[in-house]
Amino acid sequence: MTRTLAYSLFHISKEQGWNFKLFSLYDSRYDLMSQYLPAEKYTGFGDRRIGLGLQSIREAPHTDIVILNHINFSLIGIAIKLTNPKCRVWLIAHGIEVWRPLSFIKRAFLKRYCDKIICVSSFTKAQMMLRHGADPDKCVVLNNAVDPFIKLPDSFEKPEYLLNRYGLTTANQVIFTLTRLASSEQYKGYEQVIKAMSSLKHNYPNIKYVLSGQYDSKEEIRIRDLIDKYQVNDQVILTGFLNENELTDHFLLSDLFVLPSKKEGFGIVFVEALACGLPVICGNADGSTDAIKDGKLGTAINVDDLGELENTITGYLNTPLTLDKRQKLQNECLFYFNEKSYRDSLQKIINDEPVA
Amino acid sequence: MCRIAGIISNYTEAFEGREKVKSMCLALRHGGLDDEGIFSDEKAGLIFGHRRLSIIDLSNNGHQPMADTEQRAWITFNGEIYNYIDLKEQLVTLGTRFHSNTDTEVIISAYLYWGIAAFSKLRGIFAFALYDKEKSLTYLVRDSSGIKPLYYHIENGQLSFASEVKALKAAGIANEADPNWQIRFLAYGHIPEPYTTLKDVYSLPKGEFLCWNHKKNTYDIHSYHVIYPKVCIDDPDQAKEAIKTTFGFAVSRQLMADAPIGVFLSGGIDSSLITLLANQEKKAQLKTISIFFNEKAYDESMYQNLILKQIEGEKFGHLVKQTDFEGFLPQIIGDMDLPTTDGINTWCISKFAHDDGLKAVLSGIGADELFGGYPSFNRIKYIKTGKKYPASLFKIANYSTFDPYRKIAFLTYNHPIADYLLLRGLYAPVDIARILDTDVAEVEDVLFANRQLPYVRNYDEQDAAWFELNLYMQNQLLRDTDVMGMSHGLEVRVPFLDEDFIRLTENIAPGIRFDKHRPKKLLIDSFADILPRSIWDRSKMGFTFPLQEWMRENNEMTDENLYKGSKAKNIVKAFKNNSVHWSKVFALFQIQMHA
Repeated sequence: MTRTLAYSLFHISKEQGWNFKLFSLYDSRYDLMSQYLPAEKYTGFGDRRIGLGLQSIREAPHTDIVILNHINFSLIGIAIKLTNPKCRVWLIAHGIEVWRPLSFIKRAFLKRYCDKIICVSSFTKAQMMLRHGADPDKCVVLNNAVDPFIKLPDSFEKPEYLLNRYGLTTANQVIFTLTRLASSEQYKGYEQVIKAMSSLKHNYPNIKYVLSGQYDSKEEIRIRDLIDKYQVNDQVILTGFLNENELTDHFLLSDLFVLPSKKEGFGIVFVEALACGLPVICGNADGSTDAIKDGKLGTAINVDDLGELENTITGYLNTPLTLDKRQKLQNECLFYFNEKSYRDSLQKIINDEPVA
Repeated sequence: MCRIAGIISNYTEAFEGREKVKSMCLALRHGGLDDEGIFSDEKAGLIFGHRRLSIIDLSNNGHQPMADTEQRAWITFNGEIYNYIDLKEQLVTLGTRFHSNTDTEVIISAYLYWGIAAFSKLRGIFAFALYDKEKSLTYLVRDSSGIKPLYYHIENGQLSFASEVKALKAAGIANEADPNWQIRFLAYGHIPEPYTTLKDVYSLPKGEFLCWNHKKNTYDIHSYHVIYPKVCIDDPDQAKEAIKTTFGFAVSRQLMADAPIGVFLSGGIDSSLITLLANQEKKAQLKTISIFFNEKAYDESMYQNLILKQIEGEKFGHLVKQTDFEGFLPQIIGDMDLPTTDGINTWCISKFAHDDGLKAVLSGIGADELFGGYPSFNRIKYIKTGKKYPASLFKIANYSTFDPYRKIAFLTYNHPIADYLLLRGLYAPVDIARILDTDVAEVEDVLFANRQLPYVRNYDEQDAAWFELNLYMQNQLLRDTDVMGMSHGLEVRVPFLDEDFIRLTENIAPGIRFDKHRPKKLLIDSFADILPRSIWDRSKMGFTFPLQEWMRENNEMTDENLYKGSKAKNIVKAFKNNSVHWSKVFALFQIQMHA
């Protein structure tokens, strides 16, 4: 998402004749692709925290707005504000990094040194106010947008090479989940879907579950044991890491995207699925509800209720997904989440105008 | 077993297109002396060219480009399909008719019946272009290990392709040099895929197909790989049994040929194993080709003789001397197609194989990569240790006067390519910048900008296997082997890279597949009944030539005046004092030859 933000800020700056720079931690200078931002506007600091901090402070006296893309930059935010009190210091609040108790420095930053908090979802905004007593006037919601360079499909046929790869035909109904499959993750929504498969397969003998995402060997063993336990070996297809350039095709391959998660700050993956005309099911207790426009574009469920998950999937499977429906879904999604609207909203925030 | 070329263009005159394809075929003649063919479909703007090296069905029935009986599809094909008889039987049962006994025709019919699903059914070495007349689509397809080459160039809605880069140049289709090739060559010792020395000329990735839409002049590239159910083999006895069966079968089916076929025998484990297995099948008809030297440190004839004593068939041994090397060198460099610091050994042994009457050979490439035969499998764990320290610490390596240590500077970069170059690279970025008189930043951008590789995480043997299979073997060993073999009209087959065998090894638990103390222990144990102890209980030599001595005696290569810039001259000076590896000077020599 930083790429889209960088792209939007760069274009706003170009239009307004402003000077924009992006400093990035953990990335090297090879990580930002030049179609998003010209190389001269971008500095990748790798693991040099102190280097990034010092450079930021050096630039502070002639900077008007600093946007911190993570609460972990709080100390830098404080230093910038102390160096140049006129500089507006904003924070982007995403998800789980702020849905938890914060350290003294982070709390101090939020209370005294942060001028605006851009929340990626209404859920995150509510969390900021509830947990950290954030001033509602300081908080503004700006949902994420579809990557301007994503390859969007203009036809919705299932790609033949993927049907072949997974041994599928057009008769199969494909449920798709894309997420990180890590042994360290506590809540694993895809487990619910695996369990759901074991009952769904009786009424839907052609159902398949494509589960994608990078996994470590520990988690692979665990998932395969789970698949064995629920006897869904014939249904579940573990693909492993997915190349970004195959993402759209996997959405096209599928009939439904399901990610019963509790920890999406916004859930850009839902928007990406919708942008490919793919219906989605998400959780109802995190930022995903913004991604489905509170039920307009998809369905939010209680992720702990297996019955509800099964019934909702059944509902979608019983309604044929026509090409018209896919097109309509794509159009609606892009209406709400295109980069141009995002940029306009960002401009309004910078101008201190209300955002719709 | 051949060379292929072609053009698809709605904008080129039919005559001009045919002339270009003919020029490409002429430039590829060495790889197919038995026959030439051209097919054109003017309406589709398509011309296919083919140079044939006949190995299966030596009659005219094997002429290419070829179509099915109803002429619904046309193909120009380089390679062998080892399971073509099985596929043919299936297709005949399903109602397909054939006009030849070739594997070529089986590919066409398999596609016509199964569509693109046919590509993953093929077992063999292949690069082909297939034109589907009804659908107005052409597919360029390459085998899953990248054993057979396929280069393509797209410009102004036109597609050209060929088995070697020189063909595209010879036909005037692509002439502009890629400005970054020298940087890549000095870092890797070869040009890594998908790049070449020419701008906008790329290698089609292995295991992928390019689909060209004739009507829209657009294309897509996708992988045709199929996901198989994962099976984990963690019982050593089961693993050994499976290896024995699967590899034995691979060798057996790769011996199929109507033309004379033999084996490269170096004296090492891999080629010895293939020789012994091939002997069980071919017996008196098997030919072995070996090379030996007067320089005792490099000579493996003792080990070769151990194996030769146990087999039948004709045994050809060739002594290679420094004067032979001097005489061969210009042609070796001319035949390379793309610059490389390797391949000299393959060129020589392919020349002898051809002179001894062979058209195809089996080679042992792949075993080291699959079973942990290289030092990198042990060294990779030190990279993990190195990454615990701040990266900037390793910048100091740039000042080392002990040449091999300078590569430690690659630990400064947090990038999987840098990790690979630490294990296998030639020059460090600082040295490349000095040699080419450019900035280090530019060198770094060229080498590290593209971050498409999956992240290497654990720095264990599996990661080492990944590096070896997908970088070193793919980009250097396989490419060099194909082009050097084909320069003598010799097809080199690689049983260790049989698709089913690779899948088997990937299913074996790493703890059994790799051994910390003896490289390739699992492979050795699987064939303990036939592999003599002295063959495996010895230090690895890796079929090397005495190039450190021979190149230092080469006047042209060691003439400092030939090289531009003080850095290059100093390296050559140090080489004459024997403190620099020959591959580094060989690389500089090629750079200045292209200048």
